[in-house]
Order: sequence, then structure tokens, then C-alpha cells
Amino acid sequence: MAEADLALLLAALAMLLLRALGLLVAGALRPDHPLVAWAAAVSQATLSAFVALAVLAPGGAVAAIPLPARLAGLAAGLLAGVALRRGLLASLGLGLLALILARWALQ
Amino acid sequence: MRLPPLAPLRPGALAALGAPAIAMGATFLAFGAAVAAAGRGLGWAMGASLLVYGMAGQLVLLQGGGVAPAVLGATVANARFLPMAMALAPWLGGGARRWLSLPFIAITPWAAAMRVLPGLPAPARLPWFLGFALASWIVAGLATALGHAAAPLLSPPVLAALLFANPLYFALLLAAELRLPAPRRAILAGVLAAPVAFWLPSAWGLLGAGLLGGTLAFLAGLRRGRG
Repeated sequence: MAEADLALLLAALAMLLLRALGLLVAGALRPDHPLVAWAAAVSQATLSAFVALAVLAPGGAVAAIPLPARLAGLAAGLLAGVALRRGLLASLGLGLLALILARWALQ
Repeated sequence: MRLPPLAPLRPGALAALGAPAIAMGATFLAFGAAVAAAGRGLGWAMGASLLVYGMAGQLVLLQGGGVAPAVLGATVANARFLPMAMALAPWLGGGARRWLSLPFIAITPWAAAMRVLPGLPAPARLPWFLGFALASWIVAGLATALGHAAAPLLSPPVLAALLFANPLYFALLLAAELRLPAPRRAILAGVLAAPVAFWLPSAWGLLGAGLLGGTLAFLAGLRRGRG
């Protein structure tokens, strides 16, 4: 088996284990149990840290987008979603449109 | 065993086939293209998308660098699955059927489920999650295959815009959660803790920031509750 395939197989098993542990530990708990509340806080904090890093300090192809364009995309999406109460899909589309326009304008 | 009817899965599946499918599809399309660019086959791309099913870990795996570092790095990068499954588990019911959700616990279905499941009657919760999860899992697989095939057609600026759809989508979800005190604390703490990622090895960065921010937010919530 090639190295990349073996790594994929083992990683897939590790992912199942992580998910199974979570279900096993918390399956018998109520939603307001402190352990569940802590896990929810860690999950939400992880997600918001992911967004912050993806916008402010991204890697890969996104790093090629200038920071002002990334911020314009985020701001336009949030403005549409929160302030104008547009649906998720429309806000997502407006945010990406703003990102592309800002990138084009900055070139 | 008689197969359960599929109709209860429909509301969740329909909820997935909007913004979540677009945001996820865009990211997995970009991943498929990246796998093709790295010279790996469609089978590997599909395996990573459908079995690992967590983009941070998938990208670590794609970087390679030996079996043990790649597997450990991917596991750490996706370690959020553990707290996410813990936060989700109480909403999926106590029966053995909740194990059907096992392969699908990932950011997008988790985030949608945490918003919707508490407002549903208990018997509708697991079918809603499974419907959402199956639909988004299939979208992820199709998008990966499409990206793998279309890699030569996708220019770097297009790929970058596709990859940005994912954080933007999560930013929109999180913004909607800011009106509740507990999520608001966790979200703000996560943003403030994000720089911790710069001091940690790249695979550990997100986990470190999430653990620190989430734990501080949880402790702040306990104090608030007592006082």
C-alpha cells in the first residue's frame, strides 16, 4: 500500500474514533451538563478562531487575496446577513461578490 | 431489519441544499482540484473527503510528509470532532440509532444541528440531522469529484474565492449566534485566542486556540451563573 493511502486509511479511522468518543462520553448526558456546555464552548471558539485566522492570516491560495479584499468580503457578507437580515445564501453571494470586486479594484 | 422510511430525512436534507451546500461544495471543489494538482488520484480525493470529512485534516493529509506525521497532524487538526460530537450527542437521543450519525459529525452539519435541533420535537431531531448530514456528505463527494476533474480549468484567483466561501459561511452562522450570551462569550473568546495559533505548530494552532478560548468562555459563564 502506498504511503499516502495508508495515511488516509489511518486518519479515517482516527476521525471515527474522535467522533465515537464524543458520542460515547456525552450520549447519556443532558444538554445543560457542564461537560457538554464546555464542549460546545470549545467547538464554537474553535470555529470562530478558524474564521479569524482564515480572514486575517490565511494560508494557501487565499493568502494571495489582499487583506482589504478579504475584509471587504467578510464585511459585506456580515452586513447583508446581520444588518439587512438577508438569508444565508444571499449574504454568502454578496460577500463573495464584494471580495472579487475588491480584489479586482485593488489590482 | 426493515429499512426506516426516508420521508423524515427530507426537512434536514432540504435545509442542507442551500447556503450550506454552496459553502461546502465550493471548499470541496477546491480540495478536489488541489488533490489533482498534487498528482493524486480521484480515489484518494474521494476517500479523504468522505472518510476524513474535515477540511483542516484533509489539507494536512494532502501535505503528506510521512505516514505518522500526516496521520497525527490530521487527527490534531480535526480534534474538534471530539467536543463537537460531545455537544451534539445529547440532541441525538439515547438510542443505538444515534450511532448512524457517526461518520457525518463535521463542522457544517454540527453548526446547523446546534441551531435547529433544540427547537425540534425530540423524535424529529435525529432524522433531521441524518437528512442534513447525508445531503451535505453527498454534495461534498460530488464537489470533490468535480474539482478533481476540473482542476486544469480553475485558475488560482477562482480557487482562492472558492476557498473563502467556507470561512465566510461560518462567519455568517456565528454572527447569528451572537445574540445568545453563552455562544457570544465562546465566539469572542475564540477570536481573541486565535493569535495563540501563531505560537503553536500549524496542525495544533486551531486546537490550542479553541481549547483556550472555549475553556475561558466556559469558566466565565460559570462565574456569571453563580454571581
